[in-house]
Amino acid sequence: MTIGNIRSVHPAMVVVEIENLTKDFSIGFWRKRPIRALDELCLQVHQGEIFGFLGPNGAGKSTTIKLLMHLLHPTSGRARILGEPVDKVSMHQRIGYLPENPYFYDYLTPAELLTYIGRLFGIRRSDLPQKVDMLLESVGLAESRNLQLRKFSKGMVQRIGIAQALINDPEIVFLDEPMSGLDPLGRMDVRRIILSLKSRGVTVFFSSHVLPDVEALCDRIAILNKGKLQEMGALDDILKVRIEGYEIILSGSRAEALEQIRTMCDEIRPMEDRLHLRVATRERMRSVIEFAFKHELDLISVSPIRRSLEEHFQRVVDSRQWAVGSGQ
Amino acid sequence: MKFGTGFSCLAIFIVCAALIKPVQDRLEARLGTPGQEPDLLYFSSPAVVKKMALGYDRIVADFYWMRVIQYYGRRDEADKRPVRYKNLSTLLDITTTLDPDLLDAYRAGSLFLSEADPVGAGQPEEGLKLLDKGIRAHPQEWRLWYDKGFIYYLFLRDYGKAGETWHAASRLASAPHWMEPLAAMSLSKGGAVEIAKVLWERQYRESARADVRENARNHLISFQVARDIWSLELLLEKYRAKTGSFPQTLRELIRGKALKIVDPLGAPYQYNPVTGAISLSPETKVRYLQVPDSYREALSVKE
Amino acid sequence: MLQRILAIARNTYRETVRDKILYNLILFALIMILSSIILSQLTLGNEDKVILDLGLSAISIFGMLIAIFIGIGLVYKELEKRTAYALLAKPVHRYELILGKYLGLLFTLLVNLAIMTVGLELALLYTGSIGLGGHLRVLPAVYLVFLSLALTTALALLFSTFSTPALSALFTFFLWLIGHFGKDLQNFGELTKSAPVGWICRVLYYVLPNLANFSMVDSRSIIKTAGYSSAIDPMAVAGSTLYSILYCAAILSLSIAIFMRRDFK
Repeated sequence: MTIGNIRSVHPAMVVVEIENLTKDFSIGFWRKRPIRALDELCLQVHQGEIFGFLGPNGAGKSTTIKLLMHLLHPTSGRARILGEPVDKVSMHQRIGYLPENPYFYDYLTPAELLTYIGRLFGIRRSDLPQKVDMLLESVGLAESRNLQLRKFSKGMVQRIGIAQALINDPEIVFLDEPMSGLDPLGRMDVRRIILSLKSRGVTVFFSSHVLPDVEALCDRIAILNKGKLQEMGALDDILKVRIEGYEIILSGSRAEALEQIRTMCDEIRPMEDRLHLRVATRERMRSVIEFAFKHELDLISVSPIRRSLEEHFQRVVDSRQWAVGSGQ
Repeated sequence: MKFGTGFSCLAIFIVCAALIKPVQDRLEARLGTPGQEPDLLYFSSPAVVKKMALGYDRIVADFYWMRVIQYYGRRDEADKRPVRYKNLSTLLDITTTLDPDLLDAYRAGSLFLSEADPVGAGQPEEGLKLLDKGIRAHPQEWRLWYDKGFIYYLFLRDYGKAGETWHAASRLASAPHWMEPLAAMSLSKGGAVEIAKVLWERQYRESARADVRENARNHLISFQVARDIWSLELLLEKYRAKTGSFPQTLRELIRGKALKIVDPLGAPYQYNPVTGAISLSPETKVRYLQVPDSYREALSVKE
Repeated sequence: MLQRILAIARNTYRETVRDKILYNLILFALIMILSSIILSQLTLGNEDKVILDLGLSAISIFGMLIAIFIGIGLVYKELEKRTAYALLAKPVHRYELILGKYLGLLFTLLVNLAIMTVGLELALLYTGSIGLGGHLRVLPAVYLVFLSLALTTALALLFSTFSTPALSALFTFFLWLIGHFGKDLQNFGELTKSAPVGWICRVLYYVLPNLANFSMVDSRSIIKTAGYSSAIDPMAVAGSTLYSILYCAAILSLSIAIFMRRDFK
């Protein structure tokens, strides 16, 4: 269990602070056997960053977010958002939340729903219509503004979910599986929204299974498994540490060069007129490059092989041990 | 924050819960007890109630029997009704239709129906009808026959019919041995006060119900009172015939005689020396039940 | 705070007023009132009484059914469908959610009662003999029904915070039924020979909702004919109002306390 170092140069403000947060669920009616869904989680999220929260099903991701939203009561430990304890309801004025598999009143239209929620935030009636229109526009639902939600597809529900999370111009948004159920176009839209939030200084905390998205978006991540934090830190740090080698592509090789090269490399794959080589260390990489020069082989490309987040993830969370949870 | 709301909730709950009792009591005092119709719960036909009971006849019968007890037993509520026991026969009818095996309903019920107002409904015919219903359901139950004779004798004063009924009862396999002589006595000496006393005494000794025993006791005490007063009246007449006026006190009247000037529960009889009228004191604890005048001759103690 | 409660109430009203069950129940109620006109023709000279007795009973019973059927889902649906999750992440206190839902349903009930009362008044108008005073006196009777429904709704809401709809409906209906037999319970407590049973009965009498408190205005008070009337006592109506408020407040605070402690998985 390694906790990555926080390597930011400027110590940014901590907007979410989780301290030894633990949640037990009692299963069974008579003999109460507690199941520990979250075990002594410690976590900080910094202002303005995009924080990714990963873990297999049942790891406790949703549990964590629900604890932050005070939908669940912690067994022990504390959490603070924007400096306030999570049970302070007034703090919700400044945050946004998209639940997992959201469902909204299906007899309402998006415009009605957003107006209702806007009123709950205390937004003035006169300001609401404009705000609602802007939001619907930004999530791409402008044409469906008067369609009842029960007629919405999952992707559309996801979008309205994002819209209702943003209606109060929050300082930080919590998104629980925001990409789920979306087609690639939808996922791109969500990516775009998240990035635009970041550009406006909004902190984004989201949990996801879709690792390429996390890889593309996040500044820092945490990996959770069976209720325990496995790893936390800047994405680059976590992945950089694990450069596994280099991939070199050459062309124009001759038979006897092949033999020599083979000794230097871990792996050789001839592909038509090219050679894909794999070496483990920097020194080996240099040797191959020198060799290629000497023997006038064409150097097509050299790139470091970083373990993808997916592979890293699988290694951290042994896939054979995916927890059978009682739900997150 | 959470604690704040939690404590407020608890506080509100306690305050409201505590206030409910006084408000409820005040409200009831204001409304008084409900009157006539609620007793019957809108249904006055046994057939309808039986249908509504959906097969839960026995327990609904228990419920109605409870109502009968309440209806009859709560004297303060009965006092408020214009006709004290108007619905008693209907309630009993419903009860026995739902559960024909509730013997108490026939027995105690017929008694309460037959007793004169204000003790009962003053409807001995209804009492007989109820007992007949019971006898149809339980033809071998001698007690129902006995009760029927009881009502004939004491409330309808039909000594002949009483005797006949008891005679028929004595034929039943389970009838006790004293039924036959009782029947004979009624047929030959019908109207004799001894028989009446025997009937009430038996009921007082043997009934399992406290209210029935209480009622029998009241009757017996009333006999005692009647005996005392009638005997005293006789003496007063004699005294007046001799001296031309009434004595100042009753004490001088009974000097040397085995008569009482205090009622069986301890209150002295009220005596007016001018008119010679004797009656129960206003403070008496006796619940006087009318003793038929026909017993006067038999009860009065002569010199 | 009030603004949020009202917003939730308005939304609840919007939701419940579109509920199909509602329409069916109102239809039945109106049919009953209509048939009372026909039935009343069977009694000679007592049409008003029959229409009033049947009509008020129909309003009371169907009002109760509406209160229960919609009340049991009030909280349960929010949690089952998870619509509450997004809501509670807003600056909304849990108690505001409960109160808002309750008020919303009360308002729906009010609207339904109004519709049924109009039906009843029209039926009375048809037979035409109770006069303006009588028509006006129907209103306190319906008001008392409303008070009893406020109580029933609060109970349905209470069960809805921790139980499934089926059980909630059962419990609430059971309590509504028992609520009419309070006097019998009290009598039983006085007549019983066992002291602990008597004490339990007395306690239960006050704990259980005493719905007899809301039946004081009936056909006798509305139709004033010689020898067959009882006046409407404003102090008694005020007392019933107070009782209803106290009881509802107690039940609601209990509901809020339960709701606050719940985990929403």
